[in-house]
Amino acid sequence: MSSEPSPECFTWSEPSKMTKIEHTVEAANARLRQDMLAPLTRFSGPYWIAASLCLVVIAFAGFAWANQLAYGIGAAGIRRPVYWGFYIINFVFWIGISHAGTLISAILRLTDAGWRKPVTRAAEAITVFALMIGGLFPIIHLGRAWLFYWLIPYPNERLLWANFRSPLLWDMTAIFTYVTGSLLYLYLPMIPDLAMMGRRFGGLRGKIYRALAIGWRGSDRQWHALEFAMKLMAAIILAVAVSVHSVVAFDFSMAVAPMWHSTIFAPYFVAGAIFSGIAALVIALASLRKFLRLEAYLKPMHFHNLSKLLLLMSIVWAYFTVSDHLTAWYGGDPLDMRVFNAREHGPFAFWFWLMVVCNFVVPFVLLGIKKLRTIPTIIFSSCTVLLGMWLERFLIVVPTLANPPLAAAAGSYSPSWVELAITAGTFAAMILLYLIFTRLVPIIAIWEYEHETIS
Amino acid sequence: MAEETNTALTESAQYRWALAIDLDRCTGCEACVVACHAENNIPVTPESEAAASTKHWLRIDRYYEGEFPDIKMKYRPVMCQQCDQAPCEPVCPVYATYQNGEGLNVQVYNRCVGTRYCANNCPYTVRFFNWFEPEWPEPLELQLNPDVSVRPAGVMEKCTFCIQRIQRGKLDASEEDRRVEDGDIETACSQSCPAEAMIFGDLSDSESKISKLAAQGRATQLLDELGTQPRVFYLERAK
Amino acid sequence: MERRSFFKMVGTASGAALTGACGKPAAELLPILVPEEQIVPGVEEWHPSVCRECTAGCGVIVRVMEAHHKLERDGESVLHPIAAIKKVEGNPLDPVSGGRLCGRGQASVQRLYHPDRLRGPKKRTGDRGAAELSDADWDEAHETLASLLRQIDPARIVWLTRAESSSRSATVARFLDALGASAATTVGVNDFSVERAAAKALYGWDGLPVYEIQDADFVLSLGADFLGGWTSPVLYARRFGHFRQGRPQTRGTLIHAESRLSQTGWAADRWLPVAPGGEQDLAVAIGNLLIEEHGLGKDVGEAFRAPYTNIDLAATIAATGVSALRVRETAAQLAAANAPLVVAGASIVRTNSVAAVGAASGLNVLLGNVGKPGGVKAPTTSPFPRPKFSDPQARLEEAEIVFVEGVDPLYLQPALKDALAGVETVVSFASMVDETAAFADWVLPDHDALESAAAVVPEVAPGAALTGAASFVRPLYDTRPVEETLSEIAKRLEKGIDHVTAHSAYEDTFAALDEKDEWDGPLEFADYAERQGGWWSDAASSSAPEAGATVLEAARFEGSESDYPLTFQPYFSSRFGDGSGAALPWLQETPDPTSSAMWEAPMEIDPGTAAAAQASNGDLFRIETSAGSIQAPVYVNPAAIPGVVSMAIGQGHQHLGRDASGRGTNPLAVVAEAAESQTGVLAFGATRCRLSKAGDGTLRQFSIVDRETEPVRL
Repeated sequence: MSSEPSPECFTWSEPSKMTKIEHTVEAANARLRQDMLAPLTRFSGPYWIAASLCLVVIAFAGFAWANQLAYGIGAAGIRRPVYWGFYIINFVFWIGISHAGTLISAILRLTDAGWRKPVTRAAEAITVFALMIGGLFPIIHLGRAWLFYWLIPYPNERLLWANFRSPLLWDMTAIFTYVTGSLLYLYLPMIPDLAMMGRRFGGLRGKIYRALAIGWRGSDRQWHALEFAMKLMAAIILAVAVSVHSVVAFDFSMAVAPMWHSTIFAPYFVAGAIFSGIAALVIALASLRKFLRLEAYLKPMHFHNLSKLLLLMSIVWAYFTVSDHLTAWYGGDPLDMRVFNAREHGPFAFWFWLMVVCNFVVPFVLLGIKKLRTIPTIIFSSCTVLLGMWLERFLIVVPTLANPPLAAAAGSYSPSWVELAITAGTFAAMILLYLIFTRLVPIIAIWEYEHETIS
Repeated sequence: MAEETNTALTESAQYRWALAIDLDRCTGCEACVVACHAENNIPVTPESEAAASTKHWLRIDRYYEGEFPDIKMKYRPVMCQQCDQAPCEPVCPVYATYQNGEGLNVQVYNRCVGTRYCANNCPYTVRFFNWFEPEWPEPLELQLNPDVSVRPAGVMEKCTFCIQRIQRGKLDASEEDRRVEDGDIETACSQSCPAEAMIFGDLSDSESKISKLAAQGRATQLLDELGTQPRVFYLERAK
Repeated sequence: MERRSFFKMVGTASGAALTGACGKPAAELLPILVPEEQIVPGVEEWHPSVCRECTAGCGVIVRVMEAHHKLERDGESVLHPIAAIKKVEGNPLDPVSGGRLCGRGQASVQRLYHPDRLRGPKKRTGDRGAAELSDADWDEAHETLASLLRQIDPARIVWLTRAESSSRSATVARFLDALGASAATTVGVNDFSVERAAAKALYGWDGLPVYEIQDADFVLSLGADFLGGWTSPVLYARRFGHFRQGRPQTRGTLIHAESRLSQTGWAADRWLPVAPGGEQDLAVAIGNLLIEEHGLGKDVGEAFRAPYTNIDLAATIAATGVSALRVRETAAQLAAANAPLVVAGASIVRTNSVAAVGAASGLNVLLGNVGKPGGVKAPTTSPFPRPKFSDPQARLEEAEIVFVEGVDPLYLQPALKDALAGVETVVSFASMVDETAAFADWVLPDHDALESAAAVVPEVAPGAALTGAASFVRPLYDTRPVEETLSEIAKRLEKGIDHVTAHSAYEDTFAALDEKDEWDGPLEFADYAERQGGWWSDAASSSAPEAGATVLEAARFEGSESDYPLTFQPYFSSRFGDGSGAALPWLQETPDPTSSAMWEAPMEIDPGTAAAAQASNGDLFRIETSAGSIQAPVYVNPAAIPGVVSMAIGQGHQHLGRDASGRGTNPLAVVAEAAESQTGVLAFGATRCRLSKAGDGTLRQFSIVDRETEPVRL
């Protein structure tokens, strides 16, 4: 497969859509707009079914959480000594996925990679939604969730201050910054498209679009300002993204628990985040491509490029993993080794080796061997990577806590229906948010294509 | 005026509470475990939850050693070590646990929001969480100690060195315009122990029993290589 | 704690404190019953009492503070302020507890406020054993029982109780005497009849010998789990602590010989795994070595030495299950010690336990420590009768009316069910429906121990002791002390009896006091004793008795070896004692020392048997004996003697409150009807068994780890 667009790829789309190659730029742009804006007004049967299913799952998750709030965190399966379980695992997982957007989009924008155009907004959307979902978990996992605001340093009459020595406070600060930043980073590139949609739609919808477009006219000055802002945000968001997941890693590496207290965790988590983010992005793009019929825009080239990044990250992930484990094993600290053995040959062995297969073996084989690298295998690898990365978080959190320094306190963990329901609910929420987003805003930045042809 | 009446209290910053456990006297009888439950309003954990949730603030860790017939039991009472460099303190985002200046690691129940980071960071696994609302079938609530809070769901708890007894002891001493003397304050566990294996006292008093015991050659500390500087001394079993 | 500071604790709201024994008591006497109106919220008071969870008779002090009791009044829920008991601690003045208390004593407050306590007298409405009870009236009960007793032949009146010597046992004795009935008797399980019989045969003593562990430097405890329950847990644990680290130059060495690794084995420097039934052999082998190899016992009569010398030493050592090396080593250590002591007991009763205990205690005679510091001393005497054992089966078969007080015979000997069912009238004084009360026609609940007034003579004490309780809180429910019920009944029978009270007991003691002059008279002395929780004095010294020779016999087991290849060994645990501890949730959730199991009592099997049966922790297994079968979860005990299945007694109640009922199994239900040959008590450690798997499961352990393992390297 070549990476240049070729006439052959157009034959993959439905014949009724394109009968011949359009020559004029305006015609191409009109076609582009038609394809991009079509979903905003089309609500098909499958869409409603998908949305309803998601809502049902989310409602059940809500019920589960209500149950937990009413009866206590004991409704979940966490118990001594495994005081953190699915909720923290999901938290780290979703924050990790959020790195897709900003990192891909920011890096590609900063390097001016042409192939980024259809990818950036979808990626940025993943970031924002994943952050919103991930950011819920620190609240869900609290014993007294209704007091979550005590973690916010606000002036109060008792002069109580939050403890800034705590990595959880750093978490809160970093994630809040990241959410703000990525919202901005999603919003800024949407402005030209919002203006265009504001002209197309009337009524309340049009009014909202126009309001959000904040007076965009497309003048040269505005374009320069926008370009500058986007490049600046890209740089900033890159730094923030690296710091956010390092801070999340600090939740573990700053602790004294065996196998958590590892200096490699910060870069390990950032690399893992990028890794899982790319995988999520691939799946998102593949879904968009299929359901919104965007085969003309999301071409094999994009998937192949992303798959190369995925392969690279898989190797980096494997490198960090081996590095962390080799050091622990060589040192042979008895407390560390008890956790190590639990993971490698003990109760967690099956999950550990499954993780290795999902994160390294599958991507390395399917993406490393050129003949095997097809869009279906790329999607499959991304799915295994997502599973593998979830398992990685699980294997970081649970085996350490289940094997504390004083052996008599060892224990185990099995999630309850509440945790499973809430986890399912977050995946459903992600899908639902995406479903809604694609009806509100074109998932591919129209102006990026048009802008290129203009400039 | 305040200085005159509170002479005993202003000197309170110098108290350094500590506990010594003589493993040569200890028989592993668990009287201390029950005494702690009785003193500190620890709710009974229903049996369906028992294995993973029972709040034995004080527990006896036991390990078999050797093979039959030369098999022994190694056992040790473990409770919050009231570390001077407690790993649980810096990680609480809301300052619900801190060092109170007398060596006690204090847990503030009404400030705790339940992130449970402190429990994960405790190398001794001595912290316990209220997974559910506590219940006392009537009329067992008549037995509750009014000097100790009842903790709601979502809050972390652990051994406090019977801080309510320490407070009472300090109050009684200040009423008599003196410092707390060795033997005035006993924790529930040290008071109950039939073998007199647990000694509670003030390390800043060089004549106190605890000071002498802590200085003995047999005195060791649990996981001291982690640098937690615990306030609990174990007098190892003599051979 | 000193006497002075103790009295400061026992104060009223008005703050009156009493001075020491040498001065006159303060002008303001402590009102004994705390009126609710006088309790100041938040202010504590301490009152002395006696713990009655077991028969050790530890003196305690009880913390009383205000609390609010929810009551129903005219259909409304009302909060009524009462004086409530918050905590029980040892009485520092009591020489038995010395201010300390075991877990069962600490948990006793849960019995007082147990949600399933009976709130008034009940009578049976359903079938025997169905425990269908309806509310009754005290007068009705007294009247009915009085009229029954008027007609019944006094020889067919039976009173079953515990082996407690107290003002209660004295009052009961007066009652039975007045009726012309025979004395109250015990059921013989967990009441140390074996040790008493051995002491009588060996030393001529009446009662349990007192072991001066604290002054010994080498102790061999043979069959006596004195740190895990047994005769006086708190006293012996205190003595043990002193034995170890209480003396500047001496640290005592403890060797424990028993057929399971019990708590005493935990604390010992070495545990000798004696084969079940091999206790006598070990005693005899050691005695032989002491006499033949270490030249001890020269001044003891030939008749006494004969049982130790007329043996095949090698065969005897082989029968112990302990290696010859350890047996010789132990004998050598005993011989070499300055103050050696052998603590002899039968925590697990076999058919030959009296002989075994006699042979073991006889080693003290050889060692020459009887009556000496660090040795074995004569029992304390008691002004009150201590009920003795008489075969309950026989008694029940002859009975027309049986009173059950302070013991649960149907739990300890489930085989008594038919005999009990055949008695016309069964009266129970239990404060909660237990196995026996479920069969009763009348359940006349006694006050809880902490609501009662009594004087108890401790089972084992350093000297003469009378530990007492006055009532200091109002009874929670419409319960009556047994003494009151008996005097009501006696009154109706025109045979008035006087209660024996703590006060009257102290008054009686006054006459014999040396320091009489410190008080104005018996009443004043009695008040004083009541306020401090008892009267205790040093033991009178006694001369070493002429020791009687032990008659040896081999242990027998029920069930053939081919059918039942394993030995079954129920034991009384430090958590549940005679099983009554299972009612208390604190004791249920305290981890079992051996298995760390909570809320259950697993059967403990050795790793070899477990591997052969493919058993892992928590799996449900069936124990079959010649007497029946039960099921219980398994615990693979690394310290179990191969082929021996041990199981803690305490679970398996059908009644006794929500935390005990329907939980686990009672191992005593499948114990064969073997009797200890000299006393006739149930030999519950004489049953053989076989195992079969019944299902999978997990064990509810607080600690799931049995060993600290070094990590396995790749």
